[in-house]
Amino acid sequence: MINTIDFLNYLLPVLYLGAFSVYLYNFISEKKNFEHSKRLALFITLLVHCIYLAMRTFEFNHPPITNRYEIFTVLAFSITCSYFLLELLTDIRGTGLFILPFALVFQAISSLYITESYVVKDVLRNNLLGLHVMSALLGYAGFTISAVHGVLFLMLYKKLKGSNFGLIFKKMPSLETLEKLSFSSVVIGFTLLTIAILIGGFWLPSAFPNFKYSDPKLISSALIWTIYAIGILIKYLGGWYGRKVINTTLLGFALTLLSLLLINVLGSSFHTFS
Amino acid sequence: MDIIGISINHRTSTIELREKLHLLKNDIVEIIPQMKQSLFSEGFILSTCNRTEVFGLPTNNNIDYAQIINFISEIKGIPALESKNFEKYFSCSAVKHIFRVCTGLDSLILGDSQILGQSKEAFQISEENGFANTSFKRLFDASLKAGKRAINESHIGEGAVTVSFAAVQVIEKIFADLSSKSALVIGAGETGELAAVHLNDKGVTDLTIANRTFSKAEKLATKLNARTMSFQSIKDNMNKFDIIVSATSSPDYILDKKDIKAAIKKRKGAPVCLMDIALPRDIDPESAKIDNVFYHDIDSLNIIVEENLQKRKSEIPIVDRIIMDEMVHFFSWHNTLDIVPTIKSFREFFEELRIDELKKIKHKLDDEEFKKVEDMTRRLIGRILHNPTLKLRNLAESGENIEDLTNYTLLLNDLFILNGKNKNENESNKKQVISG
Repeated sequence: MINTIDFLNYLLPVLYLGAFSVYLYNFISEKKNFEHSKRLALFITLLVHCIYLAMRTFEFNHPPITNRYEIFTVLAFSITCSYFLLELLTDIRGTGLFILPFALVFQAISSLYITESYVVKDVLRNNLLGLHVMSALLGYAGFTISAVHGVLFLMLYKKLKGSNFGLIFKKMPSLETLEKLSFSSVVIGFTLLTIAILIGGFWLPSAFPNFKYSDPKLISSALIWTIYAIGILIKYLGGWYGRKVINTTLLGFALTLLSLLLINVLGSSFHTFS
Repeated sequence: MDIIGISINHRTSTIELREKLHLLKNDIVEIIPQMKQSLFSEGFILSTCNRTEVFGLPTNNNIDYAQIINFISEIKGIPALESKNFEKYFSCSAVKHIFRVCTGLDSLILGDSQILGQSKEAFQISEENGFANTSFKRLFDASLKAGKRAINESHIGEGAVTVSFAAVQVIEKIFADLSSKSALVIGAGETGELAAVHLNDKGVTDLTIANRTFSKAEKLATKLNARTMSFQSIKDNMNKFDIIVSATSSPDYILDKKDIKAAIKKRKGAPVCLMDIALPRDIDPESAKIDNVFYHDIDSLNIIVEENLQKRKSEIPIVDRIIMDEMVHFFSWHNTLDIVPTIKSFREFFEELRIDELKKIKHKLDDEEFKKVEDMTRRLIGRILHNPTLKLRNLAESGENIEDLTNYTLLLNDLFILNGKNKNENESNKKQVISG
């Protein structure tokens, strides 16, 4: 089984690259070439990814959330799966090209550095941890999808203002749709992050003896949560439209990325598992 | 095919003359019996605001274009119509022109798909009034098929090619669901009406028309089931609209930047789409700088129109190929019409010989033996005639070696003395065989 896992590990970036290429070709093509094939390509990639994650779970006897590179592959899956569901539900197919690179990068880094980890801390086999991590990752996937749609909104806004009727104008859905997709993704992401924080808040102190509320990762998560909460409140209470809302969500996403980068790569925390 | 016809269109005449010659459905129904009497045995009349086409099979060889023009002139009561205002078509060129019309290649707006529906209606009128027999029914089918293929197999009809439609396409890139938006159209002239119709077609139900002459606004509003607003109250109420299309002939701005800023403030920043399709412009272009205001004028919308027109033009070769393809099919079928009487006479000649010979031996055989001989001779004649019949049909259908076909026909007629018989075959007989 380990050979198959290894094979799938290296196959996945290739599949993501393939799916991305089909989306790219479809986007730049004047005609509606590969309109259905690109969805099929993404479905096959997701299916293989799902099999890969299941095999890792069974082989190593723990969910693949025990180190950074396992998290990365689950994050790639979460982003792709969330986008795929969004595409199926809304039938808006023009934005996938801009979301898939995130999944591709996370999966490529994971495939390069991931290791076989049979022995892990007991705490990492806890079901609550699985729920905590999965909801956090799906939350971040929501924020990523929201940010991509936000950037696309700003691009289309600029093109419309400047009477530039190129590819972005032709292939993107309406501004209103992009705003809705971005905001809905934020709300879903925010809800999931809230669940993750709640589980973490109740369970982490009992699971980790060196737990402290001043931990940088907890502070950054709280900060991210607060920014998104303010953004959502302003939208609902202040009746904000368009660019203002999008800029707030993009600020939230930029902070998310920054905190992930600083805390996970440079900082030290009890909140590491490897 | 001896089809003959005339066309008056945007290339040959002014809009005024085209309007004068326009024929309504009832007019056409009335004209057809007169036309059958004096001009054509079968045919059709297609009349739209942009063109009038009259085509048919002449009842005799003396019918010419001048007679058709005179006929139209008399019917419409317009004396001395000039020949230069009409394009004239005959045989192959006539069929090709009809196909070009149906595919939208001949339209003022290249690739206009409305013409296919209008052609279909014209053909139906012709059929319902007994003005179409085998040849024209087949021509109608082929023309409609060419039109449908042009839509399905090419992009000739895609993309906005009018400023008003381009405006609606831009609006669709701003708002997701137009049915939930409110729109104001300022100006009830031709352009304003077109924009209002497009918005209505795209599902805008909350539509308001404003015009300096209020009665004109009322007329258009009634037509589109829209509301009206007085021209003077536009500024006070413009904040209520998500979409504003302006198409008046006002020499000055109707809405300046200050008005729009005030409206946006009242709207609490909700986006508004301003489409200025008037010349000179109705809305201050500086308003484009306001956040969440999407302002477009004729120049910017023309970018879309020009691009789409170029795309449509690049599709012409594809449609030309479709037309050629359908012409080959149509004439392949039509060519078989000429060979049918010869084949029929040829087979009848052998059948008569067979029956004659069978008669001679009938009294020498009992019933069972006679039945066997009868079957055998039928099979024998069938096998003998199979290859020549097939060869003649194929030659006629391919339409490539007309000379060979003529030689074979003459040879058969000479060898088997079929001429006398052929002469007796009338045209209706020939058509019956083919349609059967």
